[in-house]
Amino acid sequence: MKDIFANLYNKVVSFFNKTDAEQSNAKDVACNRLKLVLMQDRTNLTPAIMDRMRKELIELLSKYLELDRELLDLNFEHEDNQMALMLSIPVIRAKNEDEIQEILDKEDEEKRKLEELSKSDSEEDDSEDDSEEKDDDDSKDEDDSEEDEEDDDSEEEDDSDYNDEDDSEEEDDDDESDDVESDDVEDIDENTKKEKFFSKKDKK
Amino acid sequence: MAGRVIVITSGKGGVGKTTTSANIGTALAKLGNKVVLIDTDIGLRNLDLLLGLENRIVYTIVDVVEERCKLKQALVKDKKNPNLSLLAAAQTRDKTSVTSEQLKDICDELKKKNDFILVDCPAGIEQGFQNAVAGANEAIVVTTPEMSAVRDADRIIGLLEAKEEIESYKLLLNRVRPKLIEQNDMMSVDDVVEILSCDLIGVIPEDTGIITSTNKGEPIVNDEKALAGQAYRNVAKRIMGEDIPLLDLNVKESFFDKLKNLFTKGKV
Repeated sequence: MKDIFANLYNKVVSFFNKTDAEQSNAKDVACNRLKLVLMQDRTNLTPAIMDRMRKELIELLSKYLELDRELLDLNFEHEDNQMALMLSIPVIRAKNEDEIQEILDKEDEEKRKLEELSKSDSEEDDSEDDSEEKDDDDSKDEDDSEEDEEDDDSEEEDDSDYNDEDDSEEEDDDDESDDVESDDVEDIDENTKKEKFFSKKDKK
Repeated sequence: MAGRVIVITSGKGGVGKTTTSANIGTALAKLGNKVVLIDTDIGLRNLDLLLGLENRIVYTIVDVVEERCKLKQALVKDKKNPNLSLLAAAQTRDKTSVTSEQLKDICDELKKKNDFILVDCPAGIEQGFQNAVAGANEAIVVTTPEMSAVRDADRIIGLLEAKEEIESYKLLLNRVRPKLIEQNDMMSVDDVVEILSCDLIGVIPEDTGIITSTNKGEPIVNDEKALAGQAYRNVAKRIMGEDIPLLDLNVKESFFDKLKNLFTKGKV
């Protein structure tokens, strides 16, 4: 009985909510589309670049603040002959010192490892890797999305990035061909991937 | 006497530049100012039609520039108001017939003996726009609450910003439909002002009276009852420096309308 009433209530509520949303649509859609298109008109930045800038900004600010990423609002405005970048993001909370320190340390470490890597890369003889790489690439490149899922799985199972030699080796090669050279600014997923990559190389 | 030269522009066509020019010009003249309207839309002249002066035009701006007549001869006086005159565009020529310098000279000459010179700008951002803006110190950007018109207005504002001669520019929002705004089907006045971040000089409601007034060749400001006419008269007063609040455009709904809306919208 209770269920039936709850169901009914939900239906009624969703009905009214839906009509509300529909009514506010045309105007809000117009406003949002306009803001976006004007941003591009005013700056000559393509949507792809804007999107990347947005992601990078979020990534940068996320180091220090916990943000509501969905509600991020990026806009350019004219102000007497000058253009101003207006960025408004709801802050959920400021991170405390320890958290920030942890992230910064992690980053420094990554940088250090990257440097080491580039050194070792130049010294390394990669004839061996090449043969392996080809095999792996064929299977991997076909479905990147699946690969990502795999990544997540392995993390959960291992609880650490330092295990699972075979798996990470495969990823190594893939990363090398795909990510390091290309200019991806992907999500955190990407970072964890790279971490694996670095740790593997260290072991070698 | 140094009159003010105001260019009326929009970027997009069909948003009401010429209607606005005719009405603001007439309203300013009715308030006792000496006003000259210049139609710079060479090849597509229409301002003469809106003022009902199409049969009186002997010389055009091109004749003035090519020295077939004196500037004074080319000015056509309005039927009703001797304070208002029109310098018409040539219909058989194109925008290259007049240069920016020549238009600037004409504006400078007219400034000496008039309070206001209103320049009706052609659509677009090419030579015609550049010419029209050349002699002006102020601008009125006409737009409507539609995406394409707002986008073009933004572009025009960007171009006006870059012009040193333009000391100030204001936004005139035309063809506003309060009912659609109320239903959230159209961008509101505040939305447009926020998006363009530009000061407002007036809001003109959509009015079918504009069509009949155009057909008669009689600007709607002459119709004391029309809401759009009232809105244009207010704009003219604001241009003269008076502080006049925006018109309340909300149409009062009868009880029956409210009841009908209640059922059709399905809103609580």
